Amino acid sequence: MKNSVDISVNFAGRQLQNPVLTASGTCGYVDELSDFMDVNCLGGFITKSITLKPRLGNPTPRIVETDSGMLNAIGLANIGLERFLSEKLPLIEKLSIPVYVNVAGQTLDEYLAVTEALCKCKALAGIELNISCPNVKAGGITFGKDPAQIESITAQVKKLCASKTLIVKLTPTVTEISDSARAAINGGADALSLVNTFTAMVIDIERRKPVLANRTGGLSGPAIKPMAVYLVNKVYNDVAKQAKIPILGLGGIQTGSDAIEFILAGATAVSIGTATFSEPNCCINVIEGIKNYCLRHKLSGVEQLIGSVE
Amino acid sequence: MKHSCSCKTKALAPATVLSNEKLGPRIFRITLQLKGLGAKAFAAFKPGQFAQFEVRDLALPAKYAIPADLKDKSRKNNILRRPFSFYNVEVVEDSVILRALYLVLGAGTLRLSTTTAGDEISLVGPLGNGFSVPKNKKLALILAGGMGAPPLQHLGTFLAEKHPEIRVAAFAGARSKADLPFNLVKTHAETELSFCLEEFARHNIESHVATDDGSVGYKGFVTDLLQHWLTKNSIDPAQTIIYTCGPDPMLASVARLAASLNVDCQVSTERVMGCGFGVCQSCAIECYKPGTQEKIYKLCCTDGPVFDSREVAWK
Ligand SMILES: Cc1cc2nc3c(=O)[nH]c(=O)nc-3n(C[C@H](O)[C@H](O)[C@H](O)COP(=O)(O)OP(=O)(O)OC[C@H]3O[C@@H](n4cnc5c(N)ncnc54)[C@H](O)[C@@H]3O)c2cc1C
Ligand SMILES: Cc1cc2nc3c(=O)[nH]c(=O)nc-3n(C[C@H](O)[C@H](O)[C@H](O)COP(=O)(O)O)c2cc1C
Ligand code: FES
Repeated sequence: MKNSVDISVNFAGRQLQNPVLTASGTCGYVDELSDFMDVNCLGGFITKSITLKPRLGNPTPRIVETDSGMLNAIGLANIGLERFLSEKLPLIEKLSIPVYVNVAGQTLDEYLAVTEALCKCKALAGIELNISCPNVKAGGITFGKDPAQIESITAQVKKLCASKTLIVKLTPTVTEISDSARAAINGGADALSLVNTFTAMVIDIERRKPVLANRTGGLSGPAIKPMAVYLVNKVYNDVAKQAKIPILGLGGIQTGSDAIEFILAGATAVSIGTATFSEPNCCINVIEGIKNYCLRHKLSGVEQLIGSVE
Repeated sequence: MKHSCSCKTKALAPATVLSNEKLGPRIFRITLQLKGLGAKAFAAFKPGQFAQFEVRDLALPAKYAIPADLKDKSRKNNILRRPFSFYNVEVVEDSVILRALYLVLGAGTLRLSTTTAGDEISLVGPLGNGFSVPKNKKLALILAGGMGAPPLQHLGTFLAEKHPEIRVAAFAGARSKADLPFNLVKTHAETELSFCLEEFARHNIESHVATDDGSVGYKGFVTDLLQHWLTKNSIDPAQTIIYTCGPDPMLASVARLAASLNVDCQVSTERVMGCGFGVCQSCAIECYKPGTQEKIYKLCCTDGPVFDSREVAWK
């Protein structure tokens, strides 16, 4: 089959060569997967969460496989801002695709300090604000569960990075995700990404203890895909479509077909997370799958599909 | 589906099953062949490295054939790969033959156990850092615990072929005779240690066996067996190195023994792995920051799985 279809999309004012990005925390900082794929072929790259100081992360076990999914409680283990700037930024500068740095923190000041430093970096296209990590005691998801706090933190971060794309990453572990989305948009988000993982638990019945040292973790992978598709569609219909704010859809995507499902539900672009662990070149296969779908349906591109589910 | 990719040091590549045999109630031996880019990458495979096997597409055994204790566990789709070592890696013309031993413990290894000649399994590797051979060593003591055997057997062969200056002695421990993943052969000596392991003997490596229940060889732990051996053999600590792989409590006691003897020791560790190539941070292993008592996490998959035993903060 010929692959000559243009699947570029406009994502918050920037043209991406295709709608497939990495998901934070599953693809390293920049070059870790280059043995398996040419990162420059992606639509964009989203880094592991960066915090002000390096974080060791949670005690082990940190993951457990579930039926068609996995739980993680990594606890934002990362190299910290300083090492990111000195070791990873020079590599990012060599890439030709947009790179978004995922920012996390325990306090508002930490989010702001990291954002401020990153916004000075010309090579970065933007920031993905992680206010949805379920695996740290302070910060993270506590900001992301309360619409008033979402709006306030988004507004303060946006003030520091006016020239960059600000993606706000939402947690699905709330009763009304459209309220979270509305708050982020009111705060000045240029895009929304959903979903982060669903808080969940696995119990070892022989030991009668939770498997994860953190007790709970975030569920990801194919197990969450239908829920993520539903939430993307809901946010698209309730808020994003009218506000003209693009959605980066993620949760269990493994194939081009999965990606098309998210796009039909309302996503402008998609991220590949857990699937990378078993298929380190999954992003490339998803790009191929999207192209094949377009060719099969005689489409001139993917943008006409966004939110077009009947 | 596009499967292979153009690669640098690691490959994502399909391997063809040449054979998959049952050796014991739960122990299997699988032989795989890689060609093309996979063969290119795995030709450089070092003892102690590992590969991630994709098991999700492999079939489960028929329901009646699944052991009762694994029936509930088998009701799970495996989205993650499973890490395995090899006991032998051989370059044959333009292909690489990989040989692994595995224990059936859950859904992933149950799936692996159903493969037959001609099947295809997707591999990612070579992953991790293998064993290294420091300069000036004259004696290598290999201590294998249970399913820790494969990478050490690979190392034994490697030392015999590439380091003839190093004398090697191997010690294998298991719960009982049936759990020992080696071929036992009787030696002439009529003592409690009258068995050796064919896999080492074929390279003229002396070998000794210990079982917890005494069903074969020395009755007790493999560390006790080594201490027993040390009463009859004198060593020069500076010129000696211990290599070990097995369950964590055994590694910890080997590490203590090595420290008390003032002998270098490399341990091959195992952790539950999400990716195997450093992106998920799931395989953290508690280590000391060099030269301090401060604890940090290293990654079993990319910093290890082989560590200097002094680096690891044993529980
Ligand atoms: C670097 C490395 C090399 C390995 N080499 C071999 C080998 O040569 N032969 C072999 O039989 N096994 C080896 N293992 C262990 C093997 O990966 C596990 O036994 C396997 O993943 C179990 O999968 P399962 O789905 O059958 O069982 P699961 O249901 O996933 O697990 C069954 C049991 O095995 C334990 N387990 C699961 N994953 C791991 C893991 N990654 N490491 C240790 N224990 C685990 C679980 O805690 C559980 O108790 C190796 C592991 C690592 C990390
Ligand atoms: C091991 C692991 C680590 C993750 N780390 C982060 C992180 O640091 N920051 C973040 O915003 N999301 C993190 N996530 C969430 C993913 O980016 C993604 O939102 C989620 O896993 C759902 O997508 P998936 O099903 O495709 O994995 C992590 C997920 C996993 C599985
Ligand atoms: S297994 Fe993913 S980082 Fe080690």
